[in-house]
Amino acid sequence: MASVAFQNVEKNFGSTKVIHGITFEIQDGEFLVLVGPSGCGKSTLLRMLAGLEEISGGVVSIDGRKVNDVDSKDRDIAMVFQSYALYPHMTVRDNMGFSLKLRKADARITTERVARAAKILNLEPYLDRFPRELSGGQRQRVAMGRAIVRDPKVFLFDEPLSNLDAKLRVAMRAEIKALHQRLKTTTVYVTHDQIEAMTMADRIVVMHDGVIEQIGTPLELYDHPDNLFVAQFIGSPAMNIVNGTLHRHGGTAYVEAAGGTRWPLESGVGHDGQQVAFGIRPEHLAVTDVGTVGAVPAQITVVEPTGAETELLVQAGEAPIVLVTHGRTSVRPGDAIGLAVDPAMVHVFDQASGDRLVPVMQ
Amino acid sequence: MNARKALREARLILIGIPVALWTLVPIYHMFLFALSSKDDAFSGQLWPSHPTLNNFAIVFEEKHYFLNHFWRQLGNSLVIAIAVGVITLAIATFAAFAISRLKVRGGRLVMNCALFTYFIPAAFLAVPMYKAMGVYGLLNTQWALILAMITLASPYAIWVLKQASDKLPYELDEAARIDGASPLQLFRLVYVPLMVPSLVAIGTYALLLAWNEYLYAFLLLSNDKDITLAVALGHFLSADDSPWEVLMATGLIYALPPAAIYYVFRRYMVSGLTAGAVKS
Repeated sequence: MASVAFQNVEKNFGSTKVIHGITFEIQDGEFLVLVGPSGCGKSTLLRMLAGLEEISGGVVSIDGRKVNDVDSKDRDIAMVFQSYALYPHMTVRDNMGFSLKLRKADARITTERVARAAKILNLEPYLDRFPRELSGGQRQRVAMGRAIVRDPKVFLFDEPLSNLDAKLRVAMRAEIKALHQRLKTTTVYVTHDQIEAMTMADRIVVMHDGVIEQIGTPLELYDHPDNLFVAQFIGSPAMNIVNGTLHRHGGTAYVEAAGGTRWPLESGVGHDGQQVAFGIRPEHLAVTDVGTVGAVPAQITVVEPTGAETELLVQAGEAPIVLVTHGRTSVRPGDAIGLAVDPAMVHVFDQASGDRLVPVMQ
Repeated sequence: MNARKALREARLILIGIPVALWTLVPIYHMFLFALSSKDDAFSGQLWPSHPTLNNFAIVFEEKHYFLNHFWRQLGNSLVIAIAVGVITLAIATFAAFAISRLKVRGGRLVMNCALFTYFIPAAFLAVPMYKAMGVYGLLNTQWALILAMITLASPYAIWVLKQASDKLPYELDEAARIDGASPLQLFRLVYVPLMVPSLVAIGTYALLLAWNEYLYAFLLLSNDKDITLAVALGHFLSADDSPWEVLMATGLIYALPPAAIYYVFRRYMVSGLTAGAVKS
């Protein structure tokens, strides 16, 4: 159990800078997820923490101790790789006990710890098998077992579920989370999948092009995205963004978009004539009758029922909009509807900088 | 459909038969000679009228002028081939590990040099090698031949093993490093066990290269008791009236160990030597 800190950490590959001075802390026992599109530097950051990449600048510390120049093996960390990286010539038992063997641990302790980890992960029947004789999910569990046996200060996961099929991914997601709740070991988890991030994390660090876009709990990021990137990255289906000009008349305010559609918002945001991006999540839109006062006229393009909810793709002016309704709906493609916007749920961003203008919800 | 398949088979057979004959006739010829008495040998028959194992008895009992040191020379061949195989394997494995896994500086240069040596035929280097061995005072010792053969075998061995090493996922090394393995432990506990097929193939390659070598053995060794069987076989031809039937019996014996080795390790030979041939 330990805390982890990054202070102004940088990474260069030759003359290319991929991490631009990153600073944040991970609390003892926290499950922190690094998320971002590929190439954003999240894996590099994790590998720097693991000691697999040199740190070009700044300080990485584990439990208050600077580890920049400490060997991987002396950092007291365990890592689960995307490819599992199981030793193909060793049985599950030997794979899991390998680190203890290298440490010349007592054979009895090794047996005991491997047995305990195998029990936690339901791997007991497979201890004498080789990795090639296991399914993807079982291999993933062995990789986790190898990490558990170490009893490290920090667990590192590098996209551990990417090689699994969708169903297994959901199951393993829950298993990893349950494991963390049981062991309470500080965990850093890298993924490009925002759903994984949302469901597993205590806190999420959203990265983009080598910088941190925002740090926060899953719901903080969802409800109060700091900028357009986070707004569009977090949430599925993604937030609708409509570019337009902000207008204020007396007590009312709206964004006028190309095609003449007017999107209402709470007054007190931005200034008249400002070029803004109007954002609203699909579940904060509702279908009303066409012509309803304040509603945005739109036409249904596609109806996608998924059972519990229905996703509607509509065209409002020149903007394609997605909305999600709970339960069933009777609308059909081609229908003209009105989009009812809840102004309290609107996010407004400056078009030029992408920054959030003012928090809409308290 | 079936006709087309038959046609393709027929074409393969048409190519296969001449190739098989081309390869097998000399071997059959050798076999025939080895079983013939001196009078039978040149009779031109497909099978000797009085097949005999007498030639082998002559060889095994060293009952011929050219075979005075047969067992000794066979032993020389064996010792030299095994030494070359083992030492080449050791050098190439360490080199491939250092270049491919530890990514030491200058690794690329070593690989390029190894590739460059392909352009120089071994025969070109015979005289310089002879001079070098003379300078080191190694002429007429078996070490001269062992070192020369290692020099010739290593570049290819390093090249192939490096390519094979590159195919092992690098995450394994990283996982081992995080698990606490030192480079030597990584080498011993992870790298070597996973490289076994390639190691067997390359070890066999170097061993057979040394076993079959004639030119360097002929140049670097001259004492009858030190020479390898390959050179001893060559001596047969220095006589006006060469005892062909004994020569062929000895040749057959000489050809058996490589055949046996190939047979035992055939599984590794194909997978090992083609490893790294294409980038997967």
